[in-house]
Amino acid sequence: MSSTTTSSGLARARKGLAPGGSGGGTGNRKSKLSAQTSRTFFWLLLPSVILLVLIHGYPLFQAGIQATHDGNLIQTGDFVGIENFQQVLSSPAFWKAAQFTLLFTIVGVFGSWAVGLGLALLLRTKIPAGGTFKVLLLLPWVVPIVVSSTAWNWLVATPESLIPSIFRNLGLGTPLFLADPTLAAVTVMIFKVWVSFPFMMMMTSAALASVDNTVYEAANMDGASRFQQFTQITLPLIARSTYISWILMTIFCVNDFPTIYLLTGGGPVDATTSLVVLAYRTVFQDFATGPGVAIAFLMTVTLVVVSVILYRQIRKSSVE
Amino acid sequence: MSAVLHAHPESGPALGITPTGKTRRTLSEAGMRGRWWRFALILAITAIVLVPIMVTVILALTPAPNSTTTGLTFENITGVFTKTLAGVWLQNSLVTTLSTVIVSVAVAAPAGYVLSRGRSKAVSGYSLLLFVMQSLPIITSVVPLFILFAAMGLVDNLMGLTIIYVGSTMTVATWMMAAYFDSIPISLEEASWIDGCSVFGSFTKVVLRNSLPGILSTAIFAFLLAWNDYLVAIVFLRSNEIFTLPMGVQSFFQQNLTDWSGVMALAVIMMLPPIIVFAALNKYFSVGGIGGSLAGR
Repeated sequence: MSSTTTSSGLARARKGLAPGGSGGGTGNRKSKLSAQTSRTFFWLLLPSVILLVLIHGYPLFQAGIQATHDGNLIQTGDFVGIENFQQVLSSPAFWKAAQFTLLFTIVGVFGSWAVGLGLALLLRTKIPAGGTFKVLLLLPWVVPIVVSSTAWNWLVATPESLIPSIFRNLGLGTPLFLADPTLAAVTVMIFKVWVSFPFMMMMTSAALASVDNTVYEAANMDGASRFQQFTQITLPLIARSTYISWILMTIFCVNDFPTIYLLTGGGPVDATTSLVVLAYRTVFQDFATGPGVAIAFLMTVTLVVVSVILYRQIRKSSVE
Repeated sequence: MSAVLHAHPESGPALGITPTGKTRRTLSEAGMRGRWWRFALILAITAIVLVPIMVTVILALTPAPNSTTTGLTFENITGVFTKTLAGVWLQNSLVTTLSTVIVSVAVAAPAGYVLSRGRSKAVSGYSLLLFVMQSLPIITSVVPLFILFAAMGLVDNLMGLTIIYVGSTMTVATWMMAAYFDSIPISLEEASWIDGCSVFGSFTKVVLRNSLPGILSTAIFAFLLAWNDYLVAIVFLRSNEIFTLPMGVQSFFQQNLTDWSGVMALAVIMMLPPIIVFAALNKYFSVGGIGGSLAGR
């Protein structure tokens, strides 16, 4: 690309790149400079744009088509308009999954936040080998879900598993963690919190690291209690980071497939079927592409709306 | 604050693992006792949290019920390599993941540069588009892509898998790179322009050359995402010899439900690479980069 440009063109391009650096050029020259820079920018951005169109744009467009047609993975059927959406929205399974997704997300976001925040605060204080603990506590997040779900399965799945055995020996009965609908839902959520809290801990730790300690010294002088310092100083100071971590975790939870699918497969009796699991099963097990994509599409629309609103919020708060 | 969340060596403690340094209280007798009390607490929490991982390792190293060996053994691990396609799965996972990492960075770095330096409406629009795309459920794209890739012969194919992984990592990867480039002062580039460098030249010679931490941080993110993926793999992979490790572990699980030693041996093989990568490079991976890049922009 640079081979086609003249040296004077390059000089202008360089100036055009600098923020506000017109270098005393006239309006006419200025537009030429930015044209030069734009050309380089265009080529630098092109691979990204191609991928975005291929892997995100095209499928989204196709999903729109599939959601409004009947048919299967082999053949797109006839146009049925909003029939798939009507079918989905009137099915109890959808609402049950939506309800579970909501609960799973709320527990996942605030559960992992509470644990992550607690540990971040604890690790902020001087503890022997604190750095080592910080690294060890990241492991649940680093270890692949396939691995950890296998381990969790071994720990809880059958009456003979380790944790049910412990319960039995304590005289608490033998809970069937993955066979009882309520317990399975609870287990999946605890598993999700276990997987996610390290992320929250990292986010919170970084935010806490930027808080100036002199603020606390001043608060101590004023006689503020520990709890007051936490609610009045710490939380407001890390608010933006907290807010962003909630947004990200919400997206992670709503879109989460393996955590649920690998541990329970969505069962028992659909008790842990989230919208993603439902969409997956509708398409790849019931071979109903239309309704399956319609579910995914409803999630997509919700998430687009939510993420655009949240993006605006982030932008706004970063201007402050 | 946003600067601290950048994945930059000088702007934030990596993972926050720098020593807290400034203790707020003098280490009085009570303070010391408090330290050890907190040490005990965090030790207990860490031990409980790591139970599933320890169980995996212990079972993998414990002789199988039908084995004659006693004590700790590597026979489960050598066993999965000889009795199953573990070697092939490991290779498939490595090939797919490393390709994803390389291509993701190669695509995200230039795009991130434009996002960082560009000031036009189109650039910020594209930035928003990337943000929206990263939040979408991958299941939406998977169905149409399955049909498209089936027609192109990319189903049950590692290249098809890689393309999707690159597609799904590049959105956040671009944000991460952009956030990192924001922390590189433009004055460095200006000096190179005076020396006769082009915009592209200053990007490669000045910016990229000073971006190793940012690149590594992005690479680790892409690595974890591709290595851990299960959803795309379960949809796109069909035959045993094309499986990546997650599919391998799962298939093994279903066929040999009682052979926990074998499953755990394979699980240990699968969790080692991310742990090694993390152990070696964690100082470059501040704040999961992901959140950091969003916070930074």
